[in-house]
Amino acid sequence: MNKQIRRLAAGLLVCYVILFVQLNLLQVVKRNTIAANPNNNRAVLRDFDKARGNITTADGVVIATSVPSTDTKFKYQRTYPTGELFANVSGYYTYAFGATKLEKKFTDVLTGQTPAQQIAAITNILSNSDNAGSVQLTMRNDLQQVAKDALGNREGSAIVLDPHTGAVLAMWSYPSYDPNLVATHDSKQAENVLTFLNANPEKPTLANAYQERYMPGSTFKVITASIGLETGVIDFPSMWPNEKSYTPPNTTNPIENFHGEVCGGDLRTVFARSCNTAFANVGVLVGADKMVAGTKAWGIGEPIPFDLPGGAVSHFGEVTDFTNSEALLAIQSFGEGSDAMVPLQMAMVASTVANGGVMMQPYVVAATLDHAGKVLSQTQPKVWKTPISPTTASKMTDLMIGVVNNGTAKCCLQLANGVQAAAKTGTAQLNAPGSPERSHAWIVAFAPAQNPQYAVAVILKGTNAEISAGTGGKLAGPVAKTILDYALAHPLG
Amino acid sequence: MHPLSRRSTELGLVIMAGIITAGAYTLASLGKNATIPPIIVPFFIALLGLLLMAHLATRILARGADATLLPLAAMLHGIGYVMIARLNDHLAGLQTTWTFIAIAAYIATLVVVQRAPDLARYKWTFFMIGAGLLLLPLVPGVGRSVGGARIWVRIGPVNFQPGEFAKILLALFFAGYLYERRELISAGTWHIGPLRLPEPRHFFPIVLAWGFSVVVMVGQKDLGSSLLFFTLFVVMLWVATERATFLVIGLLLFGGAAYASFRLFGHVQDRVHIWLDPWSRYQGKGYQIVQGEFAIGDGGLAGAGLGQGHPNLIPAVQNDFIFAGIAEEMGLFGATTLLMSYLLIVGAGLRIAIKAERPFEKLLATGLTTLIGVQAFVIIGGVIRVVPLTGIALPFVSYGGSSLVANYVLLALLMRVSDSSARRNGELPDDPTINERFAARQLRRRLRKQLGATPGDDTLLGNAPT
Repeated sequence: MNKQIRRLAAGLLVCYVILFVQLNLLQVVKRNTIAANPNNNRAVLRDFDKARGNITTADGVVIATSVPSTDTKFKYQRTYPTGELFANVSGYYTYAFGATKLEKKFTDVLTGQTPAQQIAAITNILSNSDNAGSVQLTMRNDLQQVAKDALGNREGSAIVLDPHTGAVLAMWSYPSYDPNLVATHDSKQAENVLTFLNANPEKPTLANAYQERYMPGSTFKVITASIGLETGVIDFPSMWPNEKSYTPPNTTNPIENFHGEVCGGDLRTVFARSCNTAFANVGVLVGADKMVAGTKAWGIGEPIPFDLPGGAVSHFGEVTDFTNSEALLAIQSFGEGSDAMVPLQMAMVASTVANGGVMMQPYVVAATLDHAGKVLSQTQPKVWKTPISPTTASKMTDLMIGVVNNGTAKCCLQLANGVQAAAKTGTAQLNAPGSPERSHAWIVAFAPAQNPQYAVAVILKGTNAEISAGTGGKLAGPVAKTILDYALAHPLG
Repeated sequence: MHPLSRRSTELGLVIMAGIITAGAYTLASLGKNATIPPIIVPFFIALLGLLLMAHLATRILARGADATLLPLAAMLHGIGYVMIARLNDHLAGLQTTWTFIAIAAYIATLVVVQRAPDLARYKWTFFMIGAGLLLLPLVPGVGRSVGGARIWVRIGPVNFQPGEFAKILLALFFAGYLYERRELISAGTWHIGPLRLPEPRHFFPIVLAWGFSVVVMVGQKDLGSSLLFFTLFVVMLWVATERATFLVIGLLLFGGAAYASFRLFGHVQDRVHIWLDPWSRYQGKGYQIVQGEFAIGDGGLAGAGLGQGHPNLIPAVQNDFIFAGIAEEMGLFGATTLLMSYLLIVGAGLRIAIKAERPFEKLLATGLTTLIGVQAFVIIGGVIRVVPLTGIALPFVSYGGSSLVANYVLLALLMRVSDSSARRNGELPDDPTINERFAARQLRRRLRKQLGATPGDDTLLGNAPT
């Protein structure tokens, strides 16, 4: 019997060796194949069992953090203490619907997955410390709140930039949403919330400050005037006749001034009063080739190099669009027609004038830090474009001061303590055939005019009659004033 | 090794198993809640207390027995318990109760069964009880179906799986039956062509065993137990008769039954299909095995860490799929430790069988060892897709009272056989058992009465043990 028992032992040994081999196949050889199965969500689950790092504003307010979960599904719950205020910057981080905005773009830092953090984690393995990194914003919680309050329940956005660096100090889009409702571990509830948000025609999950583009109206005259100055086609002494309308070449349809006013004079006057007739003429004088080249120098038609993903691209057009159509060129030269500008880019336009003609790359992330607070990466201000010379920039500043002192922004942009602002307003008439009159109210500005600290752009979308009845100066002007007054009175640090 | 130093070895190993269990328990709590469990000190004391009781019982009642079996079982049991506690607090409470009962059953078995050969006398009793237990779930009113298999019995408030006890009783029966008739069966006086088979009447037990397996498979849809019983009997028949013919006949019978049931029963087809391709059946019957595979793959070499994986995603992970949970959180290292432990138990059990001189004890040790070795192989193999999945408990590790208690009884019987052969080999004095001493005293008293001797005067009885 002993022979059989020994054979039995050998047989069972073979059985267990087979188990061992299969176990090696599953846990070592085929490990990545198993992990890559679309039904396998264990990698995601692992992320949800770790605390993600914080996203913090420049003034030290945490806008995204992980707290111990109260449910049993995961160990940590992602929360957004500031609610809707930074939703369109932080984005959300969900189990079933992925992540958006900074939560998506900086997920490696926030989970400690960047190569630098992983190397640090190996050396720290004995201390068993959490290696989640954090993201430090350029944005200020206080300024964002001021922008939000100033805009109120009006669809639109307000952006504040540091003209010298391109750092975004505030960027509010209304409507927004509460990312906490989406970040819930209850996938069914999260799905319902997202469905509801996505069904909303005002698109709360889309940051209209940089993910949408709108007709710029007269704010575009900053670009047209600067191209005119830069190309030498116009200058301060240039004169335009006082007229009610201007008929471009090769068309019989006249272009009228706002509310059919009679408008004309030298460059300072036509800019301050925002004469459509004059700037339609400037576009025609400059010509399609140079207008298109000029707008391209301003970065129009090109994606903005921004650290938030999914930005919209502004539009002016190509030379071929204006071939035999000087009427269209004339219309687009004062910001109507198919002009479409991203509000962020309009803030960059004001910023460029303020910065002596140098257009900086905008950014919201100042630095990324590891778990110990050591800097992983720091954003260095970068020049994106240099559309105009310092001379032209200085002339543009002169023109934009005129708007505040004698022009369309006189009513509404007199800053506290006598600080001089420079601005350009815009009232973009949409005039869709058959629908009620609608217009967006715009302003771009910077202050102090001679020593610029802040550049802003404000747009109130012309979605209702109330906004459409106003002008850029009267509606957007006070918003810009509130923001600039606060910012000048409360410098950071 | 000197037989008496075996107990010291066992003590050391048992304490190590206790430390490993307490350490794993602490790690699981740290992994899950980042806190050291508040009850770790009483837990460790109770754990060591239980293990020491089992050890002391062995020291008193079976001191010549193998030194590694109890520590191996304790470690498997400990790892299983930690996993169950990490999965579900409520089940952990129940498993704690079962642990006490199981250790009590271990000690009780050593107390009741003091002479292994005595068991052979009760083989038909064991057979009747075993067969009865096996068929009990089919009795209307007491039998219950859980997860498609009708293997549960509910009597009053107590639920149990009688199959877990029946397997031991059947091993006892087979050992008793075969040691008597193995020569008759192996003689093979019936010639059919080139084959030399035993008399048809000696086929009766084979047919009976096969019939039982079929009944279990068809009536209870319990493929795992069916496979286990059949393997047990074929192996024991082969070892008893020393004739490979029986192995071949057994395999043919098994193959025939397996093929027929594949053709006849949907649930058998399901098992085969999800074995070959669980991926395309992820949304349905393949879900459990796919989740198990995700868990095992995720474990990698070192595992996710106790308390840090997601074994709860696997349905029934505390029962049949506990191995997947362990492989996830303890990795290839932990899973291999489990495989090695079973292999060591198989090695120790078969070593006991080889050392045993009496055929009954040899067969019994072989049968009991086969039960553990094959049961662990069948369920681990099912989980990692080496064989089709057949739901059955992982010995000592899975959650469940019946399985735990039955396996400790099985362990005690193996220890008893081991102790018995140590005494027979003269490795330690073959002292009379407590029962025998009691019987001897009764005998002396009766003799004294008959011979009219005075109490205390044993001169008439010579140097009888006292």
